[in-house]
Amino acid sequence: MSSPDIVVDKLTKAYGKFLAVDQISFEVPRGSIVGFLGPNGAGKTTTIRMLTCFMPPTSGRASVGGYDVFSQSIAVRERIGYLPENAPTYTEMRVGEYLAYRGRLHGIARSELKPRVAAVAEKCWLGDRLRWPIGTLSKGYRQRLGIADALLNNPPVLILDEPTVGLDPTQIRETRKMLAELAGQHTVLLSTHILSEVELTCQRVIIIGRGKILAQGTPDELKQECARRGLPGSKLVVEVRGPGPQIRMALGAMPGVEHVEVLGDGPVCTLALSGKLDGALRELIASTVVGRGWALREMRTTGTSLEEFFVQITDPGVDAGRASVAA
Amino acid sequence: MVKTLSIARRELMGLFYSPIAYVVLVVYLLFVGVLFSLLVFAPGAVADPGPMFEWNHLALMFVVPFITMALFSEEYRSGRIETLRTSPVSDFSIVMGKFLGALTFYCVIIGSSLVYVLILSIFGRPDFLPVLTSYFGLVLMGMLMVSIGLFFSACTQHQVLAAISSCATLVTFGILLQAIGGLLGSVISQPPAWLNTAQRVMTYMSFEPQMQHFSMGLVDTSHVAYFLTGTFFFLMLTYLVLESRKWR
Repeated sequence: MSSPDIVVDKLTKAYGKFLAVDQISFEVPRGSIVGFLGPNGAGKTTTIRMLTCFMPPTSGRASVGGYDVFSQSIAVRERIGYLPENAPTYTEMRVGEYLAYRGRLHGIARSELKPRVAAVAEKCWLGDRLRWPIGTLSKGYRQRLGIADALLNNPPVLILDEPTVGLDPTQIRETRKMLAELAGQHTVLLSTHILSEVELTCQRVIIIGRGKILAQGTPDELKQECARRGLPGSKLVVEVRGPGPQIRMALGAMPGVEHVEVLGDGPVCTLALSGKLDGALRELIASTVVGRGWALREMRTTGTSLEEFFVQITDPGVDAGRASVAA
Repeated sequence: MVKTLSIARRELMGLFYSPIAYVVLVVYLLFVGVLFSLLVFAPGAVADPGPMFEWNHLALMFVVPFITMALFSEEYRSGRIETLRTSPVSDFSIVMGKFLGALTFYCVIIGSSLVYVLILSIFGRPDFLPVLTSYFGLVLMGMLMVSIGLFFSACTQHQVLAAISSCATLVTFGILLQAIGGLLGSVISQPPAWLNTAQRVMTYMSFEPQMQHFSMGLVDTSHVAYFLTGTFFFLMLTYLVLESRKWR
């Protein structure tokens, strides 16, 4: 594993007596894309604000690119591209004007400014909106502008707070694709509470809740942790037209199927299978059903185990369930 | 320096986009126009625009808060302060950039009063040296006024509160101190030495006596020092307020 670009060591932030972030420690390896996951009010934004030098920590240390966020604040800020929540901008300015202004604040040389603005605008699908006043842009376009702003100085570290909020499904897919492309060239810390986003884009996940780190590891490691705790896993729902008892018996006897739950009975039989649900099982089910002359109407997976895990450990009622999967 | 000037340019642009800026420009021109027609532009009078500049602060103390009220307040309210302060720009550059942007707009406003000097020079032959010193004095006074407005804007996220607070402070410097000093002098027939000193300090700190000298063509270093140290003081306070917000 390469050296970490972001190092957080016992970082704490207190607002009066309230501990918003309580002695959290984690590392983000160089070139990786890490999901920072947690419910609303978990301490995600506070942690990010400390990492971006917007506010100092009450205690503990954090460094970005080897520079301390407290004592070498300007050096840290030169190395990060930051998209704050809601991406606030100057609505009276034009898109191109705003990006040029932000570029000057980042110290981009005059000669490089125009091509750089054009490049990030193109990358964030803003190429045809450069002369538009920001006030006339939709929320999605403003979000793209925020991402373009974060990429402007080509920073080694990107810190993105809810980057897909306000985007339509196509744009969300494109943004995820873009984030995947950014990994390798940039270290990305992606704050979100959308679990599927993390599963699809991130190599590592840090789950924070009530100001503490509740779990961290790769999505697979977290799923294993979930299985180890006996949390309910995903289910395979199969809808078949044919004789119910025979279908139940045939599917229940398949390798890997541990439990069969009947969701609907009649001419069409709906079953929920749980156990070791891999791709081979689905192929076997399909061939068996077709081979016996029954009609396979639907087959789908519900309730990913990571989602259950997230819900379980971030539930305020569950405090004993803290986990720390090996890094 | 490039970053400071970029912020200044953006602030100036922001002010020109705002309708309030044009309203205050018109109000200022109307006020100076009234001063001009009542005190300066009279048949047979000496072509001296001095009185017009001497009382300029009466309008400016209401105009400047409208220029400065949004400088920081709006950044706090909209959340843009986070974008600004996570950029590689020092707090000093942010304060100076906003100050210079607002001061430039102030200079555009007072510069618009040149139209009255032009009218006077068509009908008479005014002495241009006092006009020059008057504008110099107005710029110095503007520096202090803008820095006061900037300070109050940095204190709150409510623009109206920032405007009212800076207006109250500017009225204190513009009218109240001199009025209280004058009142004390007229009510007490044989004032003790300390009261005389207090009266002198209050008169010294008022805008009108300072501007009177500039409008007569006098550039007194004590007046220059007064405006410069006052500006420095409020800019420092603004910087400290901005720094202290980090720790809340």
